[in-house]
Amino acid sequence: MLGRKACNRLTKLITYILLTMISLVCVFPFLWMVITALKPETEVRQAVPSLIIHQPTIENLLKVLFDTGFVKYMRNSFVVASAATVLSMIIAVMAGYVLSRYYKRRIVKLSNVGMMISQMIPGVLLLVPLYITMQKIGLLESYFSLILAYTTFVIPLCTFMMSSFFDTVPIELEEAAEMDGCNKFTTIVRVILPLSVPSLVSTGLYAFINAWNEFMFGYVFLSTDKYRTITPAIMLFKGANITDWGGLMAASVIAVIPVTFIFLFLQRYFLEGLMSGSVKG
Amino acid sequence: MKNKQRLHKHKNRAQREITTSVVMLLPAILFLVLLIAYPVGKVFHDAFSYTHLVNKSMEGFAGLENFKTVMRDPHFTQAIKNTVVWTVFSVAGEYMVGMLTAVLLNQKFKGRAIFRTCIFIPWLVPIIVAGMTWDWMLNPNFGIVNYILTQLHLVDAPVNFLGNKSTAMATVIFVNIWRSFPYYTISFLAALQSIPKDLNEAASIDGAGMFRRFFSITMPQMKTVSLVIIFMHLIWTSINFDFIWVMTEGGPNYATETLPLMIYRYSMKKFNVGAASALSTMMIAMMTILFIFYYRMRTQAANDSN
Repeated sequence: MLGRKACNRLTKLITYILLTMISLVCVFPFLWMVITALKPETEVRQAVPSLIIHQPTIENLLKVLFDTGFVKYMRNSFVVASAATVLSMIIAVMAGYVLSRYYKRRIVKLSNVGMMISQMIPGVLLLVPLYITMQKIGLLESYFSLILAYTTFVIPLCTFMMSSFFDTVPIELEEAAEMDGCNKFTTIVRVILPLSVPSLVSTGLYAFINAWNEFMFGYVFLSTDKYRTITPAIMLFKGANITDWGGLMAASVIAVIPVTFIFLFLQRYFLEGLMSGSVKG
Repeated sequence: MKNKQRLHKHKNRAQREITTSVVMLLPAILFLVLLIAYPVGKVFHDAFSYTHLVNKSMEGFAGLENFKTVMRDPHFTQAIKNTVVWTVFSVAGEYMVGMLTAVLLNQKFKGRAIFRTCIFIPWLVPIIVAGMTWDWMLNPNFGIVNYILTQLHLVDAPVNFLGNKSTAMATVIFVNIWRSFPYYTISFLAALQSIPKDLNEAASIDGAGMFRRFFSITMPQMKTVSLVIIFMHLIWTSINFDFIWVMTEGGPNYATETLPLMIYRYSMKKFNVGAASALSTMMIAMMTILFIFYYRMRTQAANDSN
C-alpha cells in the first residue's frame, strides 16, 4: 500500500504528464503553422520536415498580405465583425435587461422560450431561404447580409450572458436612480452599464470572435472579391494555389493573430462570461 | 377611495412594465422572426413545392416529390450513416477528453493557468484555419504527422489520411474532437468547482479511492451539465458544415458526406431548392425528436435531484 504522501505525489506526476501531453497536442499545430509560414519554399517542401528554420523569411507573409489582397480581406472581416458586435450588443443589452428584471411577465417568458429554440436552429438549414431573401432585397453582395446573419445567430447566447449578469446587479441601485429622476434609458446607460463592463467585454468578445471565425455564410453570400472576408478567402486561396502551403499557413497566421491577442488579454472575462451564459442556456 | 387609487397605481406600473418589455424586446424579436422563424417556415413550404434557384419556371405544389428525389439519391443512406457516425464518435470523444482535462485542471498545482490557456486555444481559432493546418500536417508527402509515424515505425509508408476512403472519416472526427473539446472542459470545470469539497473529503476518510470517488460523487453531480452539453453538441455536430467541407468537401467519393453537405450539394450545386428544403425538413424533424427526449430526461433529472 502506498502512503498518502507518495500517493499524492504520484497523482501530481500523472496530472503533469497528461496535461503536458494534451497541451502539446493542442498547441503544436499552431507552432507548426507559424514555423511553416516562416520557411522559404524549398524548406517547406522537404521530405524530412524540420522544426528548425534554416533561413527564416517573411516572404510568405508579405506575399499573402500584399499580392493576394489579405489586407483587404482583413479589413472586410473587421468591418463585418465590429458592426455585428455593436448591433448584437445593443440588442442583447436591452433584451437581457428585460429578461432579468421582468421575467414574470408572460411576454418575456415567451420570448425567452423563443430564444432558446432559436439557439437550437442551425444556420446551415436556413442557408437557402436566407440566401434567397438576401437576393430578393438586394443585400447579397454587401456587408449587410453577413452583419445581419451574424447578429441573428449570436443574439440568444449574448442575451443570456447579459441577463445572467444583470441578475447580480441589485435592484435598489435602479430604484435610487429612478428617485433621482432618471428614466429607464438613462438609468441603464448611466447606472447599469458602467457596472457591467466585464460582462459587456465578454459578451462582445463572443460576438466578435464568432463573426470573425464564421465561414459558411461568408462563403455562400459573397462571390465578389471586394467584400470577401478572411475565412472564405483562405478556402479559395487553397483552391487556387494547391501546393503553396507556405502561403496558406501565412494566411492562417494572419487570420488567427487578432483573435489570439484579444483572447490572451481578456481571457478571464471571456471564460467567466461564457460559463455563466452556457449554464443558463 | 384610497384602495382604488392604489389599484390604479398598480395597474399603471404593470402597464408600464409591459410597454418597456415590449419596446426593449422588439429588436431581438424582429431579428429572430425575420431571420430565423420566417426562413424556417419557408423551408417547410419549399419542401412541398417545386423550387429551383435558377430555373424560375419550376414552381407549384410538389407533394412528397422532393422527399422522393432525395431518398432516391444513391448517397442518401450513406449520408445518414455518415451523419450518425460523425456525430456520435465526435461527441463521445469530446466528452471523454473534456471530462478528463476538467478533472485534471480542477486540482491545485503550479502552472494550472498556463495549461488551461493552452487547452483552450484550439476552440478559439476559425474552423477553416484548424482544418487547413491539420490538412497540411497530415499531407502524405511533406506532412509532419506521416514523418513522425514512419520514424516511429507505426506505419510502413505515408498514409493519405484525408484522401483514403477508409481513413477520411476517422481523421475528420479526430480533428473535430481536437478543436471542440475545450468547450466541454470549461463547462465541466465550472460545474466541478461548484461541488462541495467536504463531500469528497468525507468519502476519502471513509476509504473511497480516487476512481470510486469520481464515479460515486463527481459523476452524479455532473448529470445536468452533461445532459445540456451533450444535447447541444449532438445538434451542433450533426449540422456542422464547415469542418467536413474545409477538409474533404465530402469526399473521397462521398465517404464523408453528411446531411448538411448534402443540403449544400442540392442547393448550391444542383440549385434544387425543393429537394434541399426536404432534407432540411427531415433534419428539423429528427432534431425535434431528439429535443423531446432531452426535455424528458431533463425534467426527470430535475425531479430526481429534488
